[in-house]
Amino acid sequence: MHQAKWTLSETLCEKGLTYPLTLALSPVGRGQGWGKNLRKEEDKKMLKRTLVSLSLLLVAIFLMSAPGSAQQRGVTDTEILIGQWGPQTGPAAPWGAVARGTDLLVKIINEEGGINGRKFKYFLRDDSYQPAKTKAIAKEFVEQVGDRDPRGVFAVVGGVGVACGMTARDYLMENKVPWCGPVTGVYEWITPIQKYLFAIYPLYDDEAFNLTGYLYEKLGYKKIAMFYQNDDYGKQGVMGVERYLLKKKISLVAKISAEVTDRDLSTHALKLKNSGAEAVIMWAMPTHGALILAETAKIGFKPQWATSNTLSDSALMIQITKGLWSGMINSNFGELPDSNHPLMVKYREAHKRLAPQERWGVFYYAGIIFAEPFFEGVRRAGKNLTPETWISAMETLKNWQGIGPPITYSKPKTPMDRQGGKHVFYGKVKPDGTIQKLTDWIQITK
Amino acid sequence: MDIKRNYYEDIELFKSNTILVWSILFLIFLAILPWLITKYHLLGMSLYMVNLITINAIVAIGLNILVGYTGQISMGHAGFFALGAFTTVILVLNWSFPLWIALPIAGFTTSVFGFILGLPALRLKGPYLAIATLGFGMTITTIIKHMEFFGGRMGLQAPKLYLFGTPMKDIHYYYAIVIIAVLMVIGAVKLIKTRVGRAFIAIRDSDIAAEAMGVNLTYYKTLAFAVSAFYTGIAGGLFAFILGFINPESFHLIMSITFLAMVVVGGLGSIMGSIAGAALMTFLDIKLQAIQDIPAIGPALVTFSEKYMSVAGISNVAVIVYGLIMILIVLFEPLGIFGFWIRTKKYWKTWPF
Amino acid sequence: MLGQLIVSGLAVGACYALLAIAMVIIYKTSEVLNFAQGEMAMISTYVAFSLLDSYHVPFEWTVVFTFLFAILLGMFFELVFLRQAKDPTVIGLIIITLGFEMILMGFAGWKWGPDQRSFPFPVSNIEAYNFHGLIISKINFWTILVTLVLMFVLFLFFRYTKLGTAMRATQQNQLAARVMGIRTKWILSFTWAISSMVGAVAGMLIAALGVLDPPMMMDPLLKGFASGVLGGMTSLPGTAVGGAMLGIIENLFGGYVSLAFKSAVAFAIIVLMLCIKPSGLLAKHYVKKV
Repeated sequence: MHQAKWTLSETLCEKGLTYPLTLALSPVGRGQGWGKNLRKEEDKKMLKRTLVSLSLLLVAIFLMSAPGSAQQRGVTDTEILIGQWGPQTGPAAPWGAVARGTDLLVKIINEEGGINGRKFKYFLRDDSYQPAKTKAIAKEFVEQVGDRDPRGVFAVVGGVGVACGMTARDYLMENKVPWCGPVTGVYEWITPIQKYLFAIYPLYDDEAFNLTGYLYEKLGYKKIAMFYQNDDYGKQGVMGVERYLLKKKISLVAKISAEVTDRDLSTHALKLKNSGAEAVIMWAMPTHGALILAETAKIGFKPQWATSNTLSDSALMIQITKGLWSGMINSNFGELPDSNHPLMVKYREAHKRLAPQERWGVFYYAGIIFAEPFFEGVRRAGKNLTPETWISAMETLKNWQGIGPPITYSKPKTPMDRQGGKHVFYGKVKPDGTIQKLTDWIQITK
Repeated sequence: MDIKRNYYEDIELFKSNTILVWSILFLIFLAILPWLITKYHLLGMSLYMVNLITINAIVAIGLNILVGYTGQISMGHAGFFALGAFTTVILVLNWSFPLWIALPIAGFTTSVFGFILGLPALRLKGPYLAIATLGFGMTITTIIKHMEFFGGRMGLQAPKLYLFGTPMKDIHYYYAIVIIAVLMVIGAVKLIKTRVGRAFIAIRDSDIAAEAMGVNLTYYKTLAFAVSAFYTGIAGGLFAFILGFINPESFHLIMSITFLAMVVVGGLGSIMGSIAGAALMTFLDIKLQAIQDIPAIGPALVTFSEKYMSVAGISNVAVIVYGLIMILIVLFEPLGIFGFWIRTKKYWKTWPF
Repeated sequence: MLGQLIVSGLAVGACYALLAIAMVIIYKTSEVLNFAQGEMAMISTYVAFSLLDSYHVPFEWTVVFTFLFAILLGMFFELVFLRQAKDPTVIGLIIITLGFEMILMGFAGWKWGPDQRSFPFPVSNIEAYNFHGLIISKINFWTILVTLVLMFVLFLFFRYTKLGTAMRATQQNQLAARVMGIRTKWILSFTWAISSMVGAVAGMLIAALGVLDPPMMMDPLLKGFASGVLGGMTSLPGTAVGGAMLGIIENLFGGYVSLAFKSAVAFAIIVLMLCIKPSGLLAKHYVKKV
């Protein structure tokens, strides 16, 4: 038994650093192994075969070059391809309803014969609110969907999630893919100014600013507290609120944040109560909305609550708060679920016919709200549909309204030229879960 | 050919001529893969997905070194992944390090944290270790979330990289990632064959016996954590750049669980297994939702959902199938995909006996 | 404020403790960390919700049927998945429970849809008892009561009954237990059944406190793990104490130090506890003999 001496490779490996170096410097390992065997006949043949096939492959690569295609991506004489991603599974699944709402609108439009003679093919993908998947979906949308070259969709509509959208934004913009109506009201869609991105969702910052103003001036609440979720959505709400209060030279009596996964809000409620606030502005998700209302009611704290349009699904909220939601003031970005607007009547009727199993909730028909302007743009662009013609068409929208806010776009000289939705209206929740309009459409973004 | 005649044969990289030839063929395949994917739309994959698979493979190999070879558990690797991603982006964004310098630095920073995690891990085994690493992973993400330096909740945008003047596209990333991955695979294979690797395996089989034989448990256990973290950190750095925008929210527990699943499904203690496991799990993760589009099954699912389930939640079928595949592979082939491979090889070798 | 924080902490800690108890029961008998605990409880709660909401079954009967379902679910999981595993490693078992968790979550999302629901519990969360200014809601009060009772009953069960002793024996050495005549396979099924039942209780109470939706148990599960680690994974009174302590520490931290980092406290506690005293506060540490 002889002792195995440390070869050079082992010493280097032991230091754990220079793996490629060891591979190069271990002559003992190499020589013993395949150097000798290469003299055998079969191995020589195999090597020859490999080399021959490799060269054939290289020749094939040179010979087969795909000619460039002159057709517009995602548009044929009869079809337009569009896509949307959404969290159909996972913790954010309730927002998946938006993508399914757009599906309803596509079905309605196709039933009416499409636009300018073309019907729409709609691709709905689930990204479970994971940005890595959203990027994969964006790549699929641009490079793969469809069955004729050039592959890809004409445009992307909607799309829930800031992190998810941010992953896809630059890629879509580089590939000149129109994107209409991301379903979040953050600045990231309009700064820096993107030629192909048209935002619709009213900005959270401005919404909060205006809501605070409404509470302070119109309703006379001077001691205002804020309860918000610790993410971009919540933080941009805080920005708006504090911007307004700064103007009035006062500050929030309490600024309480909660993590998305928190399920125990008793301490938060206690702090809110101890602050003595008359009104509390809430920038959170439905589950937190329900929890904080229960906790504050439990300890006997009943301020005037106000919240953003993310919690405007009052039918759902009144149910999960067991009635405590009554009296909540919230802003809205679209017609109320039971409104008699002719378009709403038409959509409700189609919903009953085509998707009766879906709940007619605010975030279901939000999928319609954030897609309507896109289709109007397609209409106005006419038969010759390219991203450029669509963009020019969109820029002609001035106070155009479907069931959402009035949409206005212009040539992109400032970020606000790409912010289509600049209005909301306020409502108060009645004990039966319906909303009573308090104001008409108010402009929140200049 | 399986019997080694001396120590040097045991530690050489290519065991036989066949393996060498197949390795070369595989490398050639990797080299022309981008062309195959874009021209023929292989399996509906994009180059981005291949990049993602390779990155996950690097993580899986790193995790396998810890779990498969050293017998530890880690449910917090998403934390190391996040650390690697954020460190690399900050180095490139704020101080303009070139990527090939920033990556190793990020790797080493992450391995320092891996070492820190390894210290309490010395006394913990099994379920306790799992929970400790879980806690560690989540603490890292929470800290990153609250530090403005890391972009806070809003995340960081990875800067555009340029290769000799042209902006880097998927295909450039592909070659860079594949080269790095190949180097790391060679490194891992070599590592296992040396003293360090044997120490790891000894610790896995029986750490008390290993200590009795003179293996310094403290050194080797923490080294295992550090090496594993190094791999994950580098993968994290690459991930940040192919994704383009990183946000601490996305490095959650489910990601750690997915990494673990890749390793177990692929095969504990097998480098090839981790690559296969990573490929399978990533592919399923992204593509499984296509179940709804399969001609016969799709509409059947919809009618079934309308009658007994909810239509809104129909995409959850993909989640159910994913979990089921995970369980079935672990149940019927504890050695994972690598186990399938070994069994197939044995079957062919011993046929017709 | 201090008093109120402590009282609220106790209330929420009781929820964590219930889940932790369910986990400890399984851990005591088969050394498996059940990551699917939360989702098993969630599905049982959804079943209760369906019974209450769609079929209008009176609450007492709903509880009985939910328990039956939970028992069957636990036994099903043990029989179909765990028993099939041949000589599983710790990590293999973890992956199996994780896979089951995904299946259950996907199933709940598919069957009932992702929208949040309100769980119709007969005891209200809003009406509260007021002890000298300290407010505790009726549900919170009942949760603490149920936890204490359950913990006490189970503790006696494990310590003094034949079945309980048999379960402890199965954990310590399965082979020896079989040699001694204990039907280990049946014991294992029974363990999972009980654990699933306790989980169902936890699920219903947690849903009553908040909302019912598929991911509702993800966070309580982690907190349950933390309580188990804090109190000792092999000690039932320990986990109850651990849960209470965790709830109180969290609330005190949130109230006086930083509300933003409140949820990180649980994880920091886990890591610290495992560094200092891995077996937990109240559990005995068994050193494996070579």
